[in-house]
Amino acid sequence: MNINKIRADFKILNQKNAPVYFDNACTTLRPNSVIDKMREYYEIYPSCGGRSHHKIGERVTEEVLKARIEVAKFFNAKNESEIIFTRNTTEGINLVANSLKWKKGDKVLCSDKEHNSNLVPWLLAKQRGILKHEVFRFGDLNDFSKKVRGARLVSIVHTSNVDGTSQDVKEMIKIAHENNSIVLIDTAQSAPHKETDVRKLDCDFLACSGHKMLGPSGMGVLYGKMDLLKQLNQFIVGGETVTNTNYTSFDAEKVPEKFEAGLQDYGGIVGFAEALKYLKKIGLNEIERYEQKLNERLTSGLLNLGVNIIGSKDAKLRGGIVGFNVGKADSHDVSMMLDSYNIATRSGMHCAHSWFNAHSIKGCSRASFYIYNTEDEVDFMLEKMKDIVKILE
Amino acid sequence: MVICIIALPVFAFLGLFSLKYRILAAEAFRCLFRTAQLKPCDSRLNQRIKINFTSKLMWWPSLAKGVYKNFAILSWIFVILMIGSTIATGYGFYNYVKYGNCNGPDSSAFCVFNAFSEQSIQNDSCSSNITAVFGELKSYKSAENLSVGG
Repeated sequence: MNINKIRADFKILNQKNAPVYFDNACTTLRPNSVIDKMREYYEIYPSCGGRSHHKIGERVTEEVLKARIEVAKFFNAKNESEIIFTRNTTEGINLVANSLKWKKGDKVLCSDKEHNSNLVPWLLAKQRGILKHEVFRFGDLNDFSKKVRGARLVSIVHTSNVDGTSQDVKEMIKIAHENNSIVLIDTAQSAPHKETDVRKLDCDFLACSGHKMLGPSGMGVLYGKMDLLKQLNQFIVGGETVTNTNYTSFDAEKVPEKFEAGLQDYGGIVGFAEALKYLKKIGLNEIERYEQKLNERLTSGLLNLGVNIIGSKDAKLRGGIVGFNVGKADSHDVSMMLDSYNIATRSGMHCAHSWFNAHSIKGCSRASFYIYNTEDEVDFMLEKMKDIVKILE
Repeated sequence: MVICIIALPVFAFLGLFSLKYRILAAEAFRCLFRTAQLKPCDSRLNQRIKINFTSKLMWWPSLAKGVYKNFAILSWIFVILMIGSTIATGYGFYNYVKYGNCNGPDSSAFCVFNAFSEQSIQNDSCSSNITAVFGELKSYKSAENLSVGG
């Protein structure tokens, strides 16, 4: 991995007073190639895909198909029709929540460390009296095995956005299938950082966001096994989700178009595929190793300063995320102080209020890495953390 | 919350010229309004001002720590000073309008309003000096142009 070469691809990192960007778990920066690809759509073929039969429209259809194939390859899906373009992970999960043919009293099982995007859709369905919702301890296979019994759907996060720890989803999927449960995995924090093979994992659904993996914002993907996708009800409907209508009925489109209502974010779709190409070129295993190296460096430095790490102290278990607190100081104070040194981190409950509330923690600061971060940046943060700890303790 | 008492008039004034400060003024107002209703202030403006203040002093960690830890006390001091200076200014203005001197009747002590009017007179003379200089420059330039044209 040639970090200097990678950094050269990101305009923001080459400007005067470039920030130390450690908020990648929220959203990543975008390389020039992604922006160029999106610009190409808006400048060269800014038309409608799948409908208009002129040359420009046909070009859009072709580029979208290429992008879908690229995404399918990235996740090793059987075919590109198993890839549904969404706005983000949240929309992917909501699509499943609103499209599965539920029977009253069906149970959904989640971990106790879910992002709100994989909690609120189920709580809403519970409020409406459709579903039962239960949680197991994140990563605890024994607890999972006990609670998975009778679950219609297991909807679990792969890597936590709070502390970066991952669950053994492969084993969980195996156990869930033995119990005839369907499994949806939220890979918003894992797909950008490690190899994700839907066939090896044998997951039924997978949701992820493009903006956390160098892609444009407002662009995500829902993968589903074809037989399951065919069984789903339609969720958001309208243009392009039907083949024919009359005043009393309509004929639904086939998968995946039946789930992609209205004019799509074509610029976003082609940009996202370009981002995946960029990541593949570097190699996901290489990315995972590199982020771990940065994590180990930051973790050991913070521990030396007496800072509390959220989750395991072993950086190897936490991918590219370091959640931390300085004594009892407000996490926003820490992150705002870091920001005064041009170091971007995030603070608060990171949309995982349920976990923080259950553990009576008010929040944490979070540094999260990606391919363009350097060891020098980590050292710079540690140097500044020394002063911050002195002030806050 | 306390610092919002100062922030509101300051940002409201700056808000006349910039949207950025109008948003901050609205935030300060909301915070004070909620406090008046005995509800907790849900704005982070107080915290942001505190950290902005502290961050500027990071080069002297012990001072920064002192400010950070005692920011509520410092805020109260600033609020009291602001109220005190507002009352003093109002009283001085009242005296100036009534007696022509901001220090009260029969006082010959320094009055800021008098000083301001004297300053404006001085400024006027200064501007006329400048006009004169510009006038000279203009005539010099036109003379130069004429000689080039010739």
